[in-house]
Amino acid sequence: MSSTLTQNKVEEFVSHIAENKLAVWNELPSIRKSGLEALEELDFPTTKNEYWKYSRTNRISKHAYKFNPLTDVNIDLDSVRIKGLDTYEVVIVNGFLNKELSNLPSKDCIELKSFEDCSTEELRSYFSQNLDTISNIFSALNTAYFTDGILIHAKGKCDKPVHLIHYSEGTETISQPRNIFIADKHAELSIIKSSLNKNTSNFFYNSVNEFFIGENSHMNYYVIQNYEEGINVVSTNVATQEKNSTFSAFNYTLKGDWIRNNTNVFVKGENCESNLYGAYQPTGKEHIDNHTIMDHLMPNCESNEHYKGTVGDKATGVFNGKVFVRKDAQKINAFQSNNNILLSDDATMNSKPELEIYADDVKCSHGSTSGQLDEEAIFYLQSRGLSKESATALLIGAFLGEVVEKIEIPELKEAVLEMYGME
Amino acid sequence: MISIKNLHASIEGKSILNGINLEVKAGEVHAIMGPNGSGKSTLSSVLAGNEDYEITDGSVDFMGEDLLEFSTEERARMGIFLAFQYPIEIPGVSNMNFLRTAINETRESKGEEPIAAKEFLAMVKEKSALVELDNSLLKRYVNEGFSGGEKKRNEIFQMAMLEPKLAILDETDSGLDIDALKIVSHGVNTLKTKDNATIVITHYQRLLDYIVPDFVHVLYKGKIVKSGTKELALELEEKGYDWIKEEINA
Ligand SMILES: Nc1ncnc2c1ncn2[C@@H]1O[C@H](COP(=O)(O)OP(=O)(O)OP(=O)(O)O)[C@@H](O)[C@H]1O
Ligand SMILES: [Mg+2]
Repeated sequence: MSSTLTQNKVEEFVSHIAENKLAVWNELPSIRKSGLEALEELDFPTTKNEYWKYSRTNRISKHAYKFNPLTDVNIDLDSVRIKGLDTYEVVIVNGFLNKELSNLPSKDCIELKSFEDCSTEELRSYFSQNLDTISNIFSALNTAYFTDGILIHAKGKCDKPVHLIHYSEGTETISQPRNIFIADKHAELSIIKSSLNKNTSNFFYNSVNEFFIGENSHMNYYVIQNYEEGINVVSTNVATQEKNSTFSAFNYTLKGDWIRNNTNVFVKGENCESNLYGAYQPTGKEHIDNHTIMDHLMPNCESNEHYKGTVGDKATGVFNGKVFVRKDAQKINAFQSNNNILLSDDATMNSKPELEIYADDVKCSHGSTSGQLDEEAIFYLQSRGLSKESATALLIGAFLGEVVEKIEIPELKEAVLEMYGME
Repeated sequence: MISIKNLHASIEGKSILNGINLEVKAGEVHAIMGPNGSGKSTLSSVLAGNEDYEITDGSVDFMGEDLLEFSTEERARMGIFLAFQYPIEIPGVSNMNFLRTAINETRESKGEEPIAAKEFLAMVKEKSALVELDNSLLKRYVNEGFSGGEKKRNEIFQMAMLEPKLAILDETDSGLDIDALKIVSHGVNTLKTKDNATIVITHYQRLLDYIVPDFVHVLYKGKIVKSGTKELALELEEKGYDWIKEEINA
């Protein structure tokens, strides 16, 4: 009974977004079909669902969205450009690639292509190969109705980073970009993802990124989330690593009404290194949720995960990190920690580090802390003439700075430190 | 400069300061001595504006203003400086960054322009040389991993940078080796003018050979029970506090 009721909710949601008769719906029919089929079985999660326990998706599901491929836009790209850093810039507007504003090189070391310029064969060999679209309604929605996307293929040591700029604008508008990142054997690539939104209200941004980290390759993925109000974000990243590879994902959430990030890494080869770093600082009524999965399937690997956050006012932070060490994955070093500072009595932090180990020769640690700012340190700084606000900001900066310092591109590190008011 | 009258302060219902009277004029150096736990650091904290302590009675006039009405940072900007007995470590906050912020916020509060980068660096160079503080320490996080003596030097370096009207040095000599004691004292003496004043809290007469006080006070059970000139410190060095305690308790 209730299942038909909720089924109608998904159906209704889908019927609205499918109203736009976009030409792309005819592309990659077999792939979309898997998403469509999954949707028939799926439901919007409630907080009874462990994976969504602390994040209510009702604020997303209750709206009737349309796609809106804005044609005439005025985007202040300078506001997200990284000072002194030359990049291949790719601009995605409401989920649609804007070719005029983008730089899509086709070089020996790197190739950037929109999906429409890819062969079906090429796409099919990567698309949804990483992703379990069956269990998560948001990735299924994206698989069934992704608008556009780009395929970034690093074939060698890339000469400059790729900067993806996602622009969102509109009311009850949905954006469903899909990106595929491939690093061939021995390739090296850094990707920076920035977001920009203007005049958004009840906007729903639902992206899926798939990463294929080939043998001996090295990929760094930097995400800067600095949203103006009026946008709900679900961002799903899934990576697989082949042997001797390194993958690092950095997530810096400065601002955003409601954000859910899923970052899942599957290590399928030996001698890999994986790093997951994140910082968040919700204030007001913001809600920032980071879920990660670090899955070790093969032996002799190392993973480091460190998420840090400050939660102020009536804001909520969520961290859920699962580390799996599978039966055959011996000699694994897996470290995970989540540290939080609560800045107010009304702030909430839900932190749940989880470790599941099925191998016996492993070194793992995980832990979570929640505390307050050091009052004594604030007094010390104030006694030198700093206002309470500056003293607090300095201490927050010092706390979050630890994960910002991990950024490997100096210009980007500088820029992010500046965003946090650190130097 | 500062006039403390009948100051009472308590923490968690426990009375620590029990009627302090002290008058310090511009150009003067006052030494405060007294047994452990008598309330010397508490007095310093209260003057610096630590809100953990509740002022239950009394008043403090600082250059014509009712000091107790001001927040810690306002007091600092008015010219109160406390060199802490136990300077804390603040990982992640660089010495230079925090000092520049401190100077600029003080300037801003007075309607002045922020300090130019060049001027700041020149000042750092000059003042760190004064207390012979290794420049590499300045780039590090505030006091993190500093030796005991280095922390104390850093306090005096900060004092030199901030140029306070009234400096309160809470056992700045403890933890300093003999050479460092001379260096730090030299720094303090160099910074002395006829317009500023210093309160030195110490257990040892030795410091007072270098920083010569105009007055010496003995604090006991939250009260100043004896005041005199520098000879009083010599007498204490020789006889300890028992004779004073006896006088009081008699
Ligand atoms: N936060 C606090 N909570 C409880 N008691 C306190 C607190 N701070 C100070 N006291 C008490 O107040 C008294 C005075 O302490 P204070 O640190 O001022 O002494 P002092 O004269 O500086 O001693 P010392 O020479 O050892 O540095 C002590 O008995 C101390 O235990
Ligand atoms: Mg003391």
